[in-house]
Amino acid sequence: MATIPPQARSKQLRACLLCSIIQHPMDFRKIGCPNCEELMQMKGSPDRISVCTTTYFDGIIAVIDAEASWVARWQRTSKYVRGMYAVRVKGRIPEDVEAELESRGIKYRPRDQSDQD
Amino acid sequence: MSGLDDDYDIQDPIQHENEEEDNEQQSQPRASGKSRGSIYDALDGEDEEEEDDEEDEDEEGEEPGRDRGRKRAKVCAIVDLHRCHRHRRNAVNRFLDVEAEVDTEEEEEEEEDEAGGDEFIADIGPEGDEDDVNRRAAVNARLDRRERELNDQDLAKIAQNLHERYGRAAVRYTGDMNEVPQRLLMPSVHDASLWQVRVKPGRERDIVFSLMRKAIDLEYTAQPLSILSAFQRDSLPGMVYVEARSAQQVNQACKGLVGVYPSRGIVLVPIEEMASLLQIKKQDLTVTPGSWVRIKRGKYQGDLAQVMDITENGEDVGLKFIPRIDLNPRDDANVDGRKRKKAGTGLTTMRPPQRFFNYEEVVKVHGRKQVSKRNQVYVFQNDTYKDGFIEKDFKLNALQLDNVNPTLDEITKFSRGQDGADNENPVDLSIIAEASRKAAIAVLQPGDHVEVFEGEQSGVYGVVDSINQDVVTVTAIGVDIDGQKVDVPARSVRKRFKPGDHVKVMTGQNADETGLVISVTDNVVTFLSDMSMQEVSVFSKDLREAAEVGSGTNVVGNYELHDLVQLDLQTVGVIFKTERDSFRVLDQNGQVRLVQPHQISMRRNSDRAIATDSEGHELRVQDNVKEIEGEARKGRVLHIHQSFFAFLHNRDILENGGVFVTRCRSLSSLAPKGNLVKPGMDLGKMNPTAAGGAQGGMVGSGAMGRGPRDRDIGAVITVVKGNHKGYNGIIKDINGTQARVELNTGNKVITIDKQKLYRRLPDGKLQPLSAPYHQQGQQRNMGPPAGVPSRTPNPYTASRTPGWGGGRTPNPFASGDGKTPAWNASSRTPNPYVSDGSKTPAWNASSRTPNPYAGGDGGKTPAWNASSRTPNPYSEPSWGSGGWGGSASPARPADSSWSSWNAPTPAAAATPGFLSAPTPAAYTGAPTPAGIMNDPGSMSAPTPGVSGNEDDHDSDFGLVLRDPLIANKKVVAEIRGSADAGWLDGDLEFKKGYVSSAFASLSEITALFHPLDSPGDPPVHVPTVYLQPVQPEEVEDHALVLRGIHKGKHVVLRESAGHGVWKVSQFQDPEAFSIDEESLVKLYHV
Repeated sequence: MATIPPQARSKQLRACLLCSIIQHPMDFRKIGCPNCEELMQMKGSPDRISVCTTTYFDGIIAVIDAEASWVARWQRTSKYVRGMYAVRVKGRIPEDVEAELESRGIKYRPRDQSDQD
Repeated sequence: MSGLDDDYDIQDPIQHENEEEDNEQQSQPRASGKSRGSIYDALDGEDEEEEDDEEDEDEEGEEPGRDRGRKRAKVCAIVDLHRCHRHRRNAVNRFLDVEAEVDTEEEEEEEEDEAGGDEFIADIGPEGDEDDVNRRAAVNARLDRRERELNDQDLAKIAQNLHERYGRAAVRYTGDMNEVPQRLLMPSVHDASLWQVRVKPGRERDIVFSLMRKAIDLEYTAQPLSILSAFQRDSLPGMVYVEARSAQQVNQACKGLVGVYPSRGIVLVPIEEMASLLQIKKQDLTVTPGSWVRIKRGKYQGDLAQVMDITENGEDVGLKFIPRIDLNPRDDANVDGRKRKKAGTGLTTMRPPQRFFNYEEVVKVHGRKQVSKRNQVYVFQNDTYKDGFIEKDFKLNALQLDNVNPTLDEITKFSRGQDGADNENPVDLSIIAEASRKAAIAVLQPGDHVEVFEGEQSGVYGVVDSINQDVVTVTAIGVDIDGQKVDVPARSVRKRFKPGDHVKVMTGQNADETGLVISVTDNVVTFLSDMSMQEVSVFSKDLREAAEVGSGTNVVGNYELHDLVQLDLQTVGVIFKTERDSFRVLDQNGQVRLVQPHQISMRRNSDRAIATDSEGHELRVQDNVKEIEGEARKGRVLHIHQSFFAFLHNRDILENGGVFVTRCRSLSSLAPKGNLVKPGMDLGKMNPTAAGGAQGGMVGSGAMGRGPRDRDIGAVITVVKGNHKGYNGIIKDINGTQARVELNTGNKVITIDKQKLYRRLPDGKLQPLSAPYHQQGQQRNMGPPAGVPSRTPNPYTASRTPGWGGGRTPNPFASGDGKTPAWNASSRTPNPYVSDGSKTPAWNASSRTPNPYAGGDGGKTPAWNASSRTPNPYSEPSWGSGGWGGSASPARPADSSWSSWNAPTPAAAATPGFLSAPTPAAYTGAPTPAGIMNDPGSMSAPTPGVSGNEDDHDSDFGLVLRDPLIANKKVVAEIRGSADAGWLDGDLEFKKGYVSSAFASLSEITALFHPLDSPGDPPVHVPTVYLQPVQPEEVEDHALVLRGIHKGKHVVLRESAGHGVWKVSQFQDPEAFSIDEESLVKLYHV
C-alpha cells in the first residue's frame, strides 16, 4: 500500500520513472519508492528523487485491486503495491539503474509509451 | 469486584510469595508480564499487595472512583506504617517523578537516593496528603511496569516487527512483467470492463484520488468498493474511467462524490477501445537544443526563446532569450521593500520592452552592486546574462513547444545580437525553415506555383496539380520536362514567387496584407505592402498570389484605425496599426503598446475637443498643424487629449504608421488665419459684460460649456428593456451607443444601451430617442430662450428686486399728474425709457429679451418688471404649485369679482402687499388699469418672471395651460405671432386648434396643438408664446373658466349679460353665474 498523496492537483506530485507510482516528493524521501526502492535508492536522497522521478506525467490511475485489474496489468503494475500510478511518464531512468536492470537481465520498458509491442 | 478487603485477604499470601521470588530473581530478564513499580518492590509485602490491588482494578478497566476513597484510606494507613522507607512527597512533588530512576529492590540504593534527594524533595506534609501520595504511587507503578514490559520484549521480535514494517524496501525488483509483449496484455472478455463516467471538467484528478481513498476507507467495511481501478487522462477532460465488473459497482463507487455525474450515464467502453484509452499519447513534443519555444507565463509570456540545453530528465530547459529589464524601476520599490514590490507585480505593471542586456544601462539604473560579472557572464537579480541575452532555466510545462511560429522579425532580432549590428553567424534559420516546412505542406493548394528546392528534382518548378498526403504532383514548367507531371515530396517543395507578383499574406502577423513582391530569397519573400508602403518580409509559405488589393482590416472589434482609445485611467492612445486581433497603440506618452481589444476600456471622442496652440489660437481635430520645435513635423490633428496632447498623423512619417503625439502648445497651425476668425470663439462674446446685446450673460455661460453636447444628453427617458425596464431617468452622458443614465430612483447612474431608452415626453408618452424631438432637446442647450425671458433670471433686469424697480418709480409723468401711478399707467406712457410709447413696455419686454442694455423696447422691462412681478413679501409665489391659484398677491381679493378691480382708485391697489412692494412703479409698469381688469391673472402671476398684463397674455397662456386645473382640458387656442417671429415661417399663423397638453421645458412652454380645421393632421408642438386663447362667442359654447373662484370649471354659455360678460352655468348644472368673457376660454367639445 503506497501513500496516497493528499493533494490531487498538487504540481509537486512526482511519478517514479520505473514503476510509475505517483507520490509526493516528501513520501519519496521518507519511504522511497514502494516498488523499486531496491534499485532506485531514493529514500532520504532528494537528488536521487529528482533524477528517478518526474513531474512530467500524464493520466492518473487509482489501482485499487492490482491483481485483478486489467488496467494494472496493461500498465505492468499488477505486482506492485496499491496506489496511484501514472499512465504515461516522460523520461528514462538514470543510466546506472538501467545498467543494473540489464545486468539482472530485466528488460527496461520506459513508461513514455515510446515502444509498445 | 469484591470488596477490597476480600481481595486483600485472598491475594495477600500469594502475592507476597511472588514478590519475594521476584526479589530473589531480580537479575533475570522479566519476560513474564508481572512487573511492578520499582519503589514498591522496596516496600514490604502489605504495601505491595495494596498497590497490586489497585493495579488490577485499573487493568480490569473498572472505574475505581467509588472504591477509591476507601482504598486510599487504606493505602494511606499502610504507607504511613512504612514511612521510614519511603520518600515523602507533598503537593509539589507530585509533578516530579522523583523515584523514576530508582531500581527495584535495592534498598540501599534507594536509601542513598533518599538521603541525597532530601534536600529538594520536600518532606511529606501533614497526614492529609497521604492519599495523594498513594495514588501517585499507583500510577507510577503502572507506568513502570509497562515500560519494563516493553524493555523485556524479545529483541528478535522487535527486529522482525521492524522488518515487517519497513522490510519492503528490500524487496528485490524483478520486473517480471516486463518480458510480456504489450499485445498479449490486451483485454479479454474475462477482464473487468471499463466504464466511462462523466465528471466535472477539471475535477478528474480529484475524483480519481477520491475513489482511491474511498476504496481504502471502505475496504474492511461491510460494503467495500468493488471497483478495480479508476483512471483519468489529461487529454480527455470531463471523463473518468472506472474498471469494474458492472455499472452498478461503478455507480456505488461514485455515489456521494462531488463532481461526478453518474446521471449523465455510465457508459461501457468497448473492449477494443480499452487499450487505446491508455495509449493516448499527446503529440510528443520533444525539445532539442537550438529549437524555438515560447514562454507561457510570467514576465516573458509569449516571448520567443531558444533552447540551449535540457536536463537529463527533460524537465528543465535552459533557454536563451531577449531580456526585459525594467530600466525605469519604481523608486518606491527600493524604499518600501518587498511588500510593495510584490503588490506591484500583481497589478498590471507595464512590461518592460525587450532589450538586450547592456551592462552600462543596467548599472546606471540599478546600481553597480546589483550586477556582478563572472567571466563573460553577468549576473543580475539572480539571472545570468550572456551576450545580451538572458539565460534561464524553465520548466518544460511552462513552455509552449508547438505552434511556436517564430516570426522573421523575432528571429532577426535574435540574430542581430546585442549591439544591433548584424551578427557574423546569424541564427541558423534552418531550424525555422524545418519547422515551417512541415506547416508548408498543409498550405499547399492545387494551382500554387511551386519550386522543388531539394532532392533529385531540385530546380524544377511548376504548378501544383494535386496533393496526396505528403506527395505533391507538380506539372512542371520548364525547358526539358515541360508539361510532365512529377511527383515530389511535399516537404521538398516551396511556393514560388517572383518579383512583380501580387501576393497576399495568409497567416501570421501580417495576415491580409497585400503587396508586390520585390525580391525572393530562398523561402523569404519581400514585398511592398499596398497598405503601408513598407517592405514586408514573410515566409513564402504564408503567401498566396492574389489579385485583390487588401485594404487590410482597419477594424478590430469595435475599434478602428486612428481611434482614440482609453487604455487605463491615466492612459489613452491612438490606434495606428491594426493587426489580426490586436492593435498597436501609441499612447500619450509616446509609447507603443500592443493591446488586445479587451484591454481597451472605451473609445473616446475628441471631435469637439479644443486646445490652444502655441500662438493661442484654438486647435481642433482635423486641423493641419506643424510642430514649432523639435522635428518640426507636420500633420493633421487626429485627436486632442485633455487639451494638452495632440495626436497627429502624417503619411510621410513611417514610424508608427505616421501617428505621433506631441503637446498642443508646441504646435502651430498651418493656416492660422482661418483660425483667427473662427466664429463662436470671440472672447468678447464670452464676456458677459462686454457682450451686451441680446445675448447677455446667459449666453456667455451657455457658450462656455464644452461645445455642443449630444442632443440626447439631459433627455428624460424611460428604460424600456433589460434589467432596468420601467425605470425613469435622465441621460447624463453618451458614449457611442451607450448612455449613462441617472435613474430617478436610487440615485444611481447606470450605463445602458441607447436602444433600450425611450424619451419620456412630458405627457407621459414614450418615443424612441432617435425620433426627432425639437421642443426640448434643442432648445435647452441653446442659451437663453427668446420666448419667455421673464423666467430666466437675468441679473441685469433686476426685475425681482423691488427696490430696484422702486427706485425708478417716481415716474416723472406719473407724479406730475398727481394721480395715482395706476392712473398713469392707464395712460400708457409710463416708462421714460420707452421709445415707442404706443406700445406697452411689457409687451415686448415679455416676449423678447429683458435686457436693460439692449435698448429699444427691451429697455423698458426693468420698470415694468419691477412693477408687475414684484414678489410680494407676503406671499411666496411658488411656481407651478399654488402660486398660480390666484393667491399670488394678498393684495388681490381672493374672490376677485372683477368689478372691484375695475375701480380705478389707487386705494384698490393700495393694499398692504402692494404698498410694501414698490407700488407706484407697479402701476406705472402695468400698462393700463384696464389691462389689470382684463387680465387679473397677471396679478396672480406666480413668479416674478411672469408678466402680468393683457398683452403679455400669450406667454401667460402657457402658464395657464400648465395649471393643473386647466391642463389637459382641450382648450381652444389660436396661433398668433408666429409669423412675426418666423416660427415655422408663419405657416400656422391664425390656425385654431385645441391644446391637449402643455409641458414646460427650461426655456419655454410647449403645447401639443391639434389643428381644428384639419383634423387629420398630426398634432403640432407649439410654443405657447404663439398661442392665444380663443374666447367663446355663442350661447351653448363650452368654455373653461380660467380665473376666479370658478377656475377650472367646465361651463356652458347660457346667455350674454352684455359688455363681455356671460351668464354661464356648469355643464349639466342649472345654477348660473356671471363671468367675464375674458376669463373664459373656449373648449373643444364634440
